Amino acid sequence: MSGGRLEVDAARCTGCNSCVLTCAFVHEGTFSLSGARIRVDADPISAEYTPRVCIQCAEARCIVACPVNALSRDQGTNTIALDEAACTGCRICVGACPYGGIGFDEESRRPRICDLCGGAPACVDVCRLPEAIRSICPDG
Amino acid sequence: MRCANEQVVLHVDLSYRKMWHEIVPEMVVRRFLGGRGIGDWLLWRDLKPGVDPLGPDNPLIFSAGALLGTAAPTAGRATILCRSPLTGFYLKTGAGGRFGAALRFAGVDHIAVRGVSEAPVVLWIEPGSTEIRDASELWGAGVRETHRRLQEDCEDSIETACIGPAGEHRVRYANVMLSVYHSASRGGAGAVMGSKGLKAVVARPGRGSIGVMDPEGFHLASDRARANLLEDPMANNLYHYGTAGDVTVFNDIRRLPSKNWQVAHIEDEEAESLGGRSWEEAGYLKRRRGCSACSIHCHRFTEVGDGPYGGTASGGPQLATVTRGGPNCGVGNVEAVFRFNELCNDLGLDAISTGSSIAWLMETYERGLISSEQADGIEPVWGSEEALLGLTGRIAHRQGIGDLLADETLAASQRVGGDSWQWAVQAKGMSPSGVAMQSALGYALAFAVNPRGPDHLHTETIAEFGATPQAREVIQRITGDERYAVSDIVDKRGEIVRWHEDIYAVTDALGLCAFTTTCAYGIDEGLLAKLFATATGVPMSSEEIMTAGRRMMTLERAINLREGLTRADDTLPWRIMNEPNHDLTGVEDPIVSRAKLDRMLDAYYDLHGWDRERGAPAPQTLRELDLEFALDG
Repeated sequence: MSGGRLEVDAARCTGCNSCVLTCAFVHEGTFSLSGARIRVDADPISAEYTPRVCIQCAEARCIVACPVNALSRDQGTNTIALDEAACTGCRICVGACPYGGIGFDEESRRPRICDLCGGAPACVDVCRLPEAIRSICPDG
Repeated sequence: MRCANEQVVLHVDLSYRKMWHEIVPEMVVRRFLGGRGIGDWLLWRDLKPGVDPLGPDNPLIFSAGALLGTAAPTAGRATILCRSPLTGFYLKTGAGGRFGAALRFAGVDHIAVRGVSEAPVVLWIEPGSTEIRDASELWGAGVRETHRRLQEDCEDSIETACIGPAGEHRVRYANVMLSVYHSASRGGAGAVMGSKGLKAVVARPGRGSIGVMDPEGFHLASDRARANLLEDPMANNLYHYGTAGDVTVFNDIRRLPSKNWQVAHIEDEEAESLGGRSWEEAGYLKRRRGCSACSIHCHRFTEVGDGPYGGTASGGPQLATVTRGGPNCGVGNVEAVFRFNELCNDLGLDAISTGSSIAWLMETYERGLISSEQADGIEPVWGSEEALLGLTGRIAHRQGIGDLLADETLAASQRVGGDSWQWAVQAKGMSPSGVAMQSALGYALAFAVNPRGPDHLHTETIAEFGATPQAREVIQRITGDERYAVSDIVDKRGEIVRWHEDIYAVTDALGLCAFTTTCAYGIDEGLLAKLFATATGVPMSSEEIMTAGRRMMTLERAINLREGLTRADDTLPWRIMNEPNHDLTGVEDPIVSRAKLDRMLDAYYDLHGWDRERGAPAPQTLRELDLEFALDG
């Protein structure tokens, strides 16, 4: 397998949303909480924060679940690739991911899946402290 | 998508239930930047001098910093402004969390609330819509409960700015709580909110977004700022230990004002358990937290597992909460302090004024001016956890003795009489944060001239201690000689304070955390200008942006002069100026004498171009700062 993957340590997440804002900025050109491929589920009262993002798992249930075969693994980058033309916007992949790692863009009616920013994930860069999201290289 | 250069004011009149929008003119954005700056401009314009701070005519202004919603490091701060019901002067208070960013995503940068609602209301703001909703059923609820019930009304995440019972009961130092645990404290903005019948402001970010004018430049400037902060030792300490990590630091050097400022040191063992450096190992630290876009993450969430305080869980506590509720009241049990913190957060109380008012009562009791009967049967002796926690609840509800303390120490001492004013450790009617001013003269001057009262959240001058290479470099740049990075000399304090004021004001206006520019020093004037210019497209040099900070400080001065401020108000607590504190070791003259303060004030006024009689800006000063509109007061 080539390409990397993301590893999330929710216990280290401080809920700052830097990853979310940066992801939206890198992919959509503007800062928002809705335009990112990562989100942080937050309970502000109990201070529970859980980053949700595709972790490029080995057995991708989203690929299996897609009824129109619009999802596949990009062998070069190890990311989940979306065939935009084939996708019908049914959201089955969103529900199939056990990690809640797939978002959905209501405007384009397409899933939002992490593309690892082409190899240097911006979320990892802005999370150097507290290091709740790390990039795992394929060979350790 | 909204652009960072557009700033929208939502005006709300609660008496007439009217709302309208105003676009801030670009020239005003250029001169006042955003956040606190635009808030100052609105307050000058909309506040009539002499109005009742708890009446309908006191505008309550919420201002999100100019960079909020972006990922610029620490861009999470919102400011609240009004005339303070505690001091009668200008009040700026601020907090982080995620409310400010959510407000901008919801389409609003500033909210100016006036009037009074007959029944409790919530102001609900989301992209494309603003609404005043009934909040009768929320009145009386604590902060957590308020947030929880408001969140139940919405499928998406919301952020709230709300008051607890203290604000409803108009405690003169009631907080507004942002994102549940982030307190906009000092000076009673929560009481103003309560007087208006406004229980909460809700911001629902939804699918709102913020664009910047030069994405590449902004990204580069943000990266540089983040990298600088990662390398900064102060920022690193804040991440690991939180602000309360400094309890042991201050105690070790005998600079921990305790027992109502009578001593400066507590038992080492007590300090260790109270200080943030021990919380992780002791199992209290559940999580480190960060405000929106934070890269420091100083905030904490702490829990107590079992024992008499078992089940206590809340955001914080911060250094000020620990020192004012703990050692200042003689309390050394960290678990009791965690409970004090939880109460202050949920009731919406300023922990500094609460702890200080209780400490004043303890000394008043010790000196025989008040009896246990007068204190509702509570025996307010030093170290009594029962007194600390029982009085905190009473203050929030103005219950019994709590009503006396709810107006702070100056007002309480006027009612109790005798010499009790001497140990009402206050200036402008407000208790100071716990900095040993006698040996930190930059702080002493900054506290004396702070327009909102004596604390560190308008001007941190931490560089004067020279504790890190970054701090010494800042002093070198300000004064031309890093040898001035010693805190117990009068020389150059005016210069040091003024520079820190300017950069603090800019930091507030942009919505960044003061720890980036006046504590960790990872972001300098050049980076601030770069971030602002690339975000807004408004050209800005480092000199211009610091001038904008000076402009804010000067307009705040003008607001206070309009409210009747004189040079005599630029002072420090009587105890600090008159009772030598020999517990402060290594300090030759352990008071800030009138002569010392006067020397610093003269130098400070001269630097500002303010007269020495009142500290009033000269007409020429106002013109140079493009503040002609303030010429006629």
